[in-house]
Amino acid sequence: MVRLRATAISASVVLALVVAAGCSAPGGDDKKAGDDSGPIKIALVDAQSGQLSSLGAWELKGAKLAVTEWNAAGGINGRQIQLDVFDDQGDPTTGTNLARKIDSEGYIAMLGTAESAVTIAMAPTLKTAEIPNITSGQSPGLVAVGSEFLFLNGPTSTTYDETLAKYIVDQQGIKDIALITNNGSYGKGEHDAFTKALKTRNVTPLVDQVVTADQKDFSAALTTIRQKNPKLIFLGAEEVESGLIVKQARDLGITVPFAGAAPQGTPVFLDTAGAKNAEGTIVSSPYLSNDINEASKKFATAYKAAYNEEAELHGAKAYDGAQILLTALKSSNVASGKPLADAIRGTKYQGLLGSFAFDNTGVGIFATSIGKIENGKLTAASS
Amino acid sequence: MRYRIGIIALAALAAWFLPYGLDSYAIHVVNVILIFAILAIGLGLCMGVGGQVNLAQVAFFGVGAYTTAILTTKTGWGFWLSAVLALAATIAVGLLVGTPALRVQSHYLGIVTLGLALAFTNWVTNAQVAGGAEGISAIPVPTIPGVDLSNEYLYYYLELAVFAVGLVFGLFIVRTALGRRMRAMRDDALAAGALGADVPVLRMTAFLLASVYGGLGGVLYAGLIRYVAPETFSIANMFLLLGMVIIGGRQSLIGCVVGAAGLYLVRELLADHPTVAQIGYGTVVVLVVVFAPTGLAGLPKRIRDLVTRRRGGQGEAARLQPFQPYETVRPDESGSQSPILEVDGISMYFRGLRALDDVSLSITPGEIRGIVGPNGSGKTTLFNVISGLYRPTRGRIRFRGQDSTGLAPYRLARAGMSRTFQNLRLFGDLTVEENVLVAIDRNATWHSWRYVARPISVLRRDRDLHRRAAEVIERYGLAEFAALPPKSLPYGIQRRVEIARAVAAGPALLLLDEPAAGLNGDEVRQLSEIVRSVRDSGVTVIIIEHNMGLVMSLCERITVLASGHVIAEGEPAEVASTPAVIEAYLGDSMSSDDLPSVPEVTG
Repeated sequence: MVRLRATAISASVVLALVVAAGCSAPGGDDKKAGDDSGPIKIALVDAQSGQLSSLGAWELKGAKLAVTEWNAAGGINGRQIQLDVFDDQGDPTTGTNLARKIDSEGYIAMLGTAESAVTIAMAPTLKTAEIPNITSGQSPGLVAVGSEFLFLNGPTSTTYDETLAKYIVDQQGIKDIALITNNGSYGKGEHDAFTKALKTRNVTPLVDQVVTADQKDFSAALTTIRQKNPKLIFLGAEEVESGLIVKQARDLGITVPFAGAAPQGTPVFLDTAGAKNAEGTIVSSPYLSNDINEASKKFATAYKAAYNEEAELHGAKAYDGAQILLTALKSSNVASGKPLADAIRGTKYQGLLGSFAFDNTGVGIFATSIGKIENGKLTAASS
Repeated sequence: MRYRIGIIALAALAAWFLPYGLDSYAIHVVNVILIFAILAIGLGLCMGVGGQVNLAQVAFFGVGAYTTAILTTKTGWGFWLSAVLALAATIAVGLLVGTPALRVQSHYLGIVTLGLALAFTNWVTNAQVAGGAEGISAIPVPTIPGVDLSNEYLYYYLELAVFAVGLVFGLFIVRTALGRRMRAMRDDALAAGALGADVPVLRMTAFLLASVYGGLGGVLYAGLIRYVAPETFSIANMFLLLGMVIIGGRQSLIGCVVGAAGLYLVRELLADHPTVAQIGYGTVVVLVVVFAPTGLAGLPKRIRDLVTRRRGGQGEAARLQPFQPYETVRPDESGSQSPILEVDGISMYFRGLRALDDVSLSITPGEIRGIVGPNGSGKTTLFNVISGLYRPTRGRIRFRGQDSTGLAPYRLARAGMSRTFQNLRLFGDLTVEENVLVAIDRNATWHSWRYVARPISVLRRDRDLHRRAAEVIERYGLAEFAALPPKSLPYGIQRRVEIARAVAAGPALLLLDEPAAGLNGDEVRQLSEIVRSVRDSGVTVIIIEHNMGLVMSLCERITVLASGHVIAEGEPAEVASTPAVIEAYLGDSMSSDDLPSVPEVTG
């Protein structure tokens, strides 16, 4: 009897709800855009947990540094800037959730993510919601999305390898090149981009070795490379694996230099390989080191003061991205939506990575610098 | 019942009107949760119900999503056609991933399936057709005339429909013959095989079901997110899925759904507090595994049990009723009495050990044959060879006139052989009634196509099975225990359940391995009554027993084994006086229990 009554009561409650809801289709929440008072809300979406959390942490530090500087200088139009962090866990699905979340919570712009796939997954939603996004991803796929709300805070990965190939083949005239890359997403991208850059120069690699992303012993691949007697070895792998490869290559008596993109310019790589082994490594990176010029020295000092650790590429990229966004916010009088996107596109900015001038694809910088490890330090290469 | 209908109606109404109260972010999260819930149901069916460790569910999910993405973007085929093909592709992959299950089980199977899942993510990262690390974007919106599915609120109803059908179908399987058989296999694959459950087919069915749900989830994902990338199908998400199923309770599909919704919501709520999230997430998993191994779904029952225990038991304890004998069937005297079972020169070697050495036996229909011998004389090995668990090193076996050497246990069971085990092998997580039901069900598993094509006939058949099981349970006096799990019953009753189960399978030949072990005098007397009645109903019985009183009084002929040889065969009195037998017993063991005591037979 009691149960029956409970059922009856709950049924009538539901019925009441139904009547209240009416017979309209669900959806259509009213969004408050262009809120003119209070802080300017910017979302930073990045992996704060999971495998990519170190990237996310660097990004956060770089972006936060820029925001802190602006806030200390009085904000924009007297309004403070509020930077809120969201964890995408490096997962595209979570990214799509967060894209809707920052939309419904009224953020006017987004910084991040460092993971291209997550950014691509978020792009359609952000485009519909008209939220400009400056990402740290560098995959050509970001450009292929074709969203006028998506911007890159650095060059695309093809630029790294194009610049590298130009230096090696066109300037140094080295054509006997061996490839060793891993089959992870980074290594695969490097492999394809560099092979493509070589092909346009009619150079075919002597040997093309692919290793797995968590391999520790590379003697088989390196022995094959040694037999072909190349003049240079292109290396497409993350910091630690790159270091191990170089170290083992030297143990096997391979003396020719290695060449690669950003990971080979990092202290982690230098430490893993050993400074002596890494000597002569050619690096293509938009941010070679902290003491390359005055701006980077100033940034590195501020970074060190704030976080008590050395600045590096990802932090610098995020710093540039945040600076560009904040500059655009200022120049557009805190616009949002399409006007803000246009303002970002129109922003000319001299940053740590070089001078930014965005084109229609959302890319603002089209060259990297070539550096060389000499005496255990990465310095700009003289061509 | 009415209560339950009320709850279901309420849940359905709530689900129907849920979108009215949600903003666009919340509805998106709900849509993602529904996809995970569908995946979790599939994993629950494979792992919780079928007992097959499957760490490749995320790969099934990926195959479904990727195939849809590739077909719609590269070939320009419509979404629904691509979806159907994607489902077919997932099923093919599922069956492929399942094949190792035919050879390895438990954690080995986990390692193999995990390896295959890793291979999948690796492949999509490197394959040109799958778009590499960038994945595939711009998947077209699925179309239904008159409904705009790019609207996530309306997409919710599509997902809700698929989810509801999937859940109902899953529950339908779990509660009827197929699911019962899968659960039996999970609890004890050996015993299930000996009762006629075709274990290899069942294992593949478990993976088939997992892949169907995985494929559905994948197709819905492709239509919702309209972008696929390798990271979505990472091992991290596999373990998230695993966490959902374990926290929710893998043996209950509702539990899996609750786990999926709960864990995803927690993850989403804690998105702003990443450090807390990781600690919290880990803590919850550990707490559940330690304090509620049956997951959230098992909690209500545990609480109920606790309350009853506090109150001091439930009024009257269940009592065993007397066995009601079968009607005697007059043996067919006219026909030629060709042996039902012929064991011809069987040898069984385990490396250097000769467990059986050139053993021959011939059993005539309607006989009760006793097999005795000292410990280690090869009695149980002989049973295992006869019932197909071991393939003999040498020799042939003919069962009902057919050569049955090396046939799989379930084939022999189908052909009319049934057995019990020396150490009880009841299906621990099934009730007594379900134990009997598994035995009564004689259909081959491939008949399960009816689940899709003719669900009503499945239900009708199941009702018939229940009726017949009730008869068996009534006859064995187990009515008051029908709904209890056998683990909770006294040893003697468990023995009776196992015999009831073996006889319920309707065998022509019944093998009983030490049925009197651990029984008291009264129970032994009841056992002998049961065995005799079973024989009188037309079943031939072979019995291994150490209780000589029972053997001498029950068996018409006795075969004595010692060190893998047959040392004597004949009528009880005749065998008991054979010098070789006395020597074997005295030479091997001085235990007086094992001595054939002639007075009891003659007395």
